[in-house]
Amino acid sequence: MAAPTMGRLRDSLAVQGRVIHALMIRELTTRFGRENIGFLWVMVEPLLFGGLVAIVWRVTHGPEEHGIGIVAFVISGYIPITLFRHCVSRTAMIFTANGSLMYHRQIKVLDFILVRFLIELLGGMMAYLFIGLILIFFDAFPMPANIGLFLAGWMLYALFTLSICLIIAPASEMSEVVEKFIPVTTYIMIPFSGLFSMQSWLTPSLRGYLAWSPFVNAMEMMRKGLWGPDITAYYNPWNPIFCTVVAAVIGLALCRRVRRTLSVE
Amino acid sequence: MITCTNICKSYTHGSARKQVLRDVNLTFAAGSRVALLGRNGAGKSTLIKLIGGVEMPTSGRITRHMSVSWPLGFAGGFQGSLTGYDNARFIARIYNRDYREMRAYVEDFTELGRQLKMPVKTYSSGMRARLAFALSLAIEFDCYLVDEIILVGDQNFQRKCQYELFEKRQDRSMILASHSTETVRDFCNEAVIIHGGIATAYDDVNHAVDLYSAL
Repeated sequence: MAAPTMGRLRDSLAVQGRVIHALMIRELTTRFGRENIGFLWVMVEPLLFGGLVAIVWRVTHGPEEHGIGIVAFVISGYIPITLFRHCVSRTAMIFTANGSLMYHRQIKVLDFILVRFLIELLGGMMAYLFIGLILIFFDAFPMPANIGLFLAGWMLYALFTLSICLIIAPASEMSEVVEKFIPVTTYIMIPFSGLFSMQSWLTPSLRGYLAWSPFVNAMEMMRKGLWGPDITAYYNPWNPIFCTVVAAVIGLALCRRVRRTLSVE
Repeated sequence: MITCTNICKSYTHGSARKQVLRDVNLTFAAGSRVALLGRNGAGKSTLIKLIGGVEMPTSGRITRHMSVSWPLGFAGGFQGSLTGYDNARFIARIYNRDYREMRAYVEDFTELGRQLKMPVKTYSSGMRARLAFALSLAIEFDCYLVDEIILVGDQNFQRKCQYELFEKRQDRSMILASHSTETVRDFCNEAVIIHGGIATAYDDVNHAVDLYSAL
């Protein structure tokens, strides 16, 4: 019994692997084309966003805040939030947008979400690496004190983003109201994302509230991983893990439900 | 073999609700060529989409014991902004076929030449039909789902389809939604009439066509 089941699982994984590979290439060609730098455009947006905001902050806030470089601080906040905002806006109405692909049975709705998430993740990581290396060269970015902690924080941030996308994608198909609320919600949540402040800069009561946010916990992990002993961080990795699991379960159930009622032209 | 058991399909839009298929039970045996007959909006395309797995039934079950093509029709299956070649490459990837063989077959079957380097959205419906048929024939399915589209092709295309689908692949199954009674009489050996959400199967195609013409 076990052997054929394992065999079937292996075959299915092979099919999904092929599908995701094909969808990635398709998505990259339709979005960025083959002209000039081609798919490298994927990292330009987070790069520009992080870079320009960092310059503005450098001008308005001076070179340092609470003892850490302002440019590095802003970059460390903006690249993750760009990942989140792009993923969310790209997964709204994703099933309708990809309707013609549902003609091929081996392509599942989850593949659409996964592919767009992976592309944004790739873009964000490439942008981070690119800008990080340049800034380290000019001594404006810290050499990561604990690269493992930094990557763990990034992964938790990304996985929580993915789990939110799993909810946004079916919810936006169920009700148009959801889609209209997405831009304002992602804007309102910025102060609660740990973007502008470290937990240690806040009053204890405010810190207590923000400690509930999975974004803040993951962001604190990333920054602790970057600056190490230079800063104090407050985080609990179980918070983003727990939130991710809960959101993913809800999201997967919704995806399954919505797929049944989806009408494809 | 494909079996549909107690298939119901309804669409809801806001508070409006339309039941398209009611309790459809059908069996499509290997090698059968089934015509789906019915007036506009009767649910032929809906049934084809359900069998192809593009949409899911509201209730009921569809089991497929052979490889079934995607519904070959006017819409779907292609990305309009990509070229014919890109679409072929995409399909080759997801169906795990060799792209070079597929490209050769598509070039030969479609006779579209340089047009294959243009985005599919610039194609006429006849050209799309050629591409869709070429790709699905290159993959070699056991059962082809055809939604109207044969009729949009020119003489040359219809001859090719006739040879490739009806003569060379005589052992394959086909489910064909069509309003052309001539095509149905010539190529199908079974028929299903969909009327008022109810599907009825007939072994005698001529009898079914006569009934359908009287609807």
